[in-house]
Amino acid sequence: MASTYSHEWRAVCDKFNNAQDLSEVESRKDPENDPFRSKYKARELLREIYCSLKNFDVGENESVNDEADQRPTEQPVDGGMEEGFGRGHCGDSPAGSRAAKLGAVEYYLGVNHVETEELSAGEEHLMNCMTLLEKCSISPENVSLFIQVRNQLGILWAGRDEIEKAQGFLETAEAMYIRYMKEDGQPPMDLTEFFVAEEEALPQQERTKRFEMAYTHTLYYLAQVYKNLEQYEKAGGYCHSTLQRQLKFNQFIPLEWAINAATLSQYYITKNLYMEGRHCLSAASVIADLAGEVPSEAAAQESEAEAEKRDQLRQKRAEIARCWIKYCLNLLQDAKKLLEDNIGELDMDRQAELRATRLQEEEEKERGRKSAVLFGSTDTFDSICGLEEKVSCVFPVDFEEARAIFLVGQTYVNQAKEYFEMDGHVTDHIEILQDHSALFKALAFFEEDMERRCKMHKRRVDMMEPICKDLNAQYYLLVCRQLQFELAETYYEMMDLKLAVANKQDDLDAHTVKKFNHLCSSSTRFYQMFLDSVRSPEGKWPEKLEDEVLRPALVAKFRVARLHSRLISSSKTVQLENLNRSLECYNFVVQYCKDNPEAKSAIETELELSEEMVSLLPLKINRLQANLASSNGL
Amino acid sequence: MVEDMKGKIRVFCRIRPMSRAEAAQGGAIAVGRLDDYSVTVETSRGPREFQFDRVFSGESSQEDVFQDTNRLIQSAIDGFNVCIFAYGQTGSGKTFTMVGDRDQRSPGIMPRAFNAVFDILQENATKFDFKVSVYMLELYNDRLQDLFVSGAEAQSRRVEIKRNRKGLVFAQGAETKEASSAGELFAMFQQACANRHNAATKMNVESSRSHLIIGIMVETRNLTNGSVSFGKLSLVDLAGSERAAKTGAKDDQLKEANSINKSLSALGDVISALSSDLPHIPYRNSKLTQIMQDSLGGNAKTLMVVNVSPSECNLDETLTSLIYATRVKTITNIAQRNLESKEIAQLKEVIMKLRSGQPVEDDEV
Repeated sequence: MASTYSHEWRAVCDKFNNAQDLSEVESRKDPENDPFRSKYKARELLREIYCSLKNFDVGENESVNDEADQRPTEQPVDGGMEEGFGRGHCGDSPAGSRAAKLGAVEYYLGVNHVETEELSAGEEHLMNCMTLLEKCSISPENVSLFIQVRNQLGILWAGRDEIEKAQGFLETAEAMYIRYMKEDGQPPMDLTEFFVAEEEALPQQERTKRFEMAYTHTLYYLAQVYKNLEQYEKAGGYCHSTLQRQLKFNQFIPLEWAINAATLSQYYITKNLYMEGRHCLSAASVIADLAGEVPSEAAAQESEAEAEKRDQLRQKRAEIARCWIKYCLNLLQDAKKLLEDNIGELDMDRQAELRATRLQEEEEKERGRKSAVLFGSTDTFDSICGLEEKVSCVFPVDFEEARAIFLVGQTYVNQAKEYFEMDGHVTDHIEILQDHSALFKALAFFEEDMERRCKMHKRRVDMMEPICKDLNAQYYLLVCRQLQFELAETYYEMMDLKLAVANKQDDLDAHTVKKFNHLCSSSTRFYQMFLDSVRSPEGKWPEKLEDEVLRPALVAKFRVARLHSRLISSSKTVQLENLNRSLECYNFVVQYCKDNPEAKSAIETELELSEEMVSLLPLKINRLQANLASSNGL
Repeated sequence: MVEDMKGKIRVFCRIRPMSRAEAAQGGAIAVGRLDDYSVTVETSRGPREFQFDRVFSGESSQEDVFQDTNRLIQSAIDGFNVCIFAYGQTGSGKTFTMVGDRDQRSPGIMPRAFNAVFDILQENATKFDFKVSVYMLELYNDRLQDLFVSGAEAQSRRVEIKRNRKGLVFAQGAETKEASSAGELFAMFQQACANRHNAATKMNVESSRSHLIIGIMVETRNLTNGSVSFGKLSLVDLAGSERAAKTGAKDDQLKEANSINKSLSALGDVISALSSDLPHIPYRNSKLTQIMQDSLGGNAKTLMVVNVSPSECNLDETLTSLIYATRVKTITNIAQRNLESKEIAQLKEVIMKLRSGQPVEDDEV
């Protein structure tokens, strides 16, 4: 650059700095009734800069008939990359440099218009920038601009609901980054450096950081684009990459990053990608710890700010614990689905099968997937690995393995409950308890010993029954119904187990019968409670059941029917009473479906069986009655 | 089975009549009511249909809309936890729906609810003793503020809404006032709105907009047997803030991060949206989501009224509102289990035996 205009050049640089300052700093102070005041001023300065630049170098330039002069026709589809690495001016030549500078001003003008809600003008400037760059080969001077202008155009077109166009720009930017890093890789100049003196150039490290941040934005926008295109898997991958890069380049807020990673883990769980899920959760836990110490209760009393910080930290960490609970629970439940036979018991053949597949998968995993998903810088990596080692990411096949996962889940339950205490966080607290109960239920599946299994179910009952009694049933209607139903089912399960144990030992003594009947009645009691909750405040059963209670209510009636008939009694009178009650319930189901035929599809199997029982039970009842009559000497 | 019993939120959609300004701009209509339950929207990619529990067109009256909500008021007095949310962008008719016109010649849901509460209580005055108390809060910038207190003092106090197992709700840090008539309630409401306006003008452009939260607690004591029940009616007026949705930003617009230092704040929203059934969503970025969650949890009686404009020039905002409203309705699953439960298998065996005349042990049936 000739020094003849170094004076003018200085002026341009100063002007640029002013424009930046107006745009970023002053604009925040603009009043509400004139919110773009500073940005308009900045715009004027940028325009002046543009003119000045155009006037420099006239004569020195080879291609004076500036393509840049002509307002280019709209090129909505970006074909810019292929030309980028070869044709036109070399990026470092004076012509290339000039084009880049003009392009940068066009870029800032474009962004300025977008920020002041003038999208068409913004688009025009951004497209100009792109066109200017097309004349040059890609160099460290212009690659950042190349990428960032496409980021902006991506946002712009997405805002106009033209997702595919946005996708085009962003994917080009992505490809350019990859190619540049492969073929060149030098820390590129940052956009702000176009208008600074050489002494004020950024250090390499800073250049790298900003360039990488620009690319992280590209990935972040692509994640959104793919989500909008409903390509969820791809979107998930890009979210993951964004998170990875945030960590790698140390551009993250710990709690925010941790929560995002924890949320991503939940997505992976829905896809049965437990290895990735575990990695996300471990990273989330480690990074959440980086957010600092929790202020003490005393400190929280003193200062509002400390109180908020304390609450925030505790809450977020408890949320991460809940994500871990879901991880453990889903891992156990998914394993159960693979291992169970058609009546819900562990199938030995399937168990063997799963063991075999697991071995295979272990090897594959070691090779492929793992490296792609790793989070972390050198400091955090070890901590993350450490956490991962504490819990498995493969389906458990036997009790020992299941138990290990259960215990991890239980630890997180206790952690989560510390923050989500009952009073103040009723629904959250109960959700956690329900998860805890579900953990026990899943573990019970793997337990072979029926007595021990029964004890696990007892733990569930002990956990939920007090709450169920304690809660205001009207206020927490939905939750109470869930608890009632779950308790009824659990007692039912325990009843079956008690009987199975006794039958195995061929030992159905009076004590066991009493126990059995007690469990049976308890189950009935809770189904009944649930059914009562469907009644109106005056105690009337609704003529028509609402959608969300239809199936559960009819199933409850069906189960109560069954329960009544299973009560064990040596007295024939009592037996008769029980059978009659049973028949009444089966009848209810049948009658309701007759009166409301649309309900049939909700309860097909149970209806079928109820109809059978309605026709068969009376015979049995009659026989019993006859028996009773004869034994009474009639 | 427990998973089947998901909470169901009823959603009504109300399309307002075209405004003069819209008519002046050409009056192109993009939103129409197909029938009592469906809305159709003409998007740039073709027509799109949305299903709701009720759809009201521009011709519907305030009375029409309130009729369907009246039952909920009764439930609140019966001791249930009832919530009515209104959602919609500014200008969509949300305020008209929730509050009514300025002169109150066409009162909206809130004033009608105030009247309905006291009407019902008066009807039962011989059977019940009652006490009505209310808190009115504003939520903006993620902080709850007491609207019974004005300006600076409101900003300095920390307010939290907490529930305990008995269903007793307390707005910690905020004033709860007693009301003995609908008129009193309405006067309090007007005062609260006045305070709200003051707070709002101090906001700068970047902050999220404000939401109004009214909690009416009704305590009834049965004069015959002395039993006491607590019910609550929450009326929430949600501003059209994109933060209201757990899944965040306007569906088709990317969240920008122009300045290199700005954090990628919407990344969590994107992740949350990857699947509609994440086991747990820790991404509660706002108090609003928290409050809504609390109101929905354990609550079987929630109503959301989403307001939209019929005209083409508001299409983007309308779509955002409708899409959000659709997400808010949780789907009740009637899970078809493919495998038979043990119990069914056992019963089938019993039936088989009975049918074939085989002896069935008395305790096997």
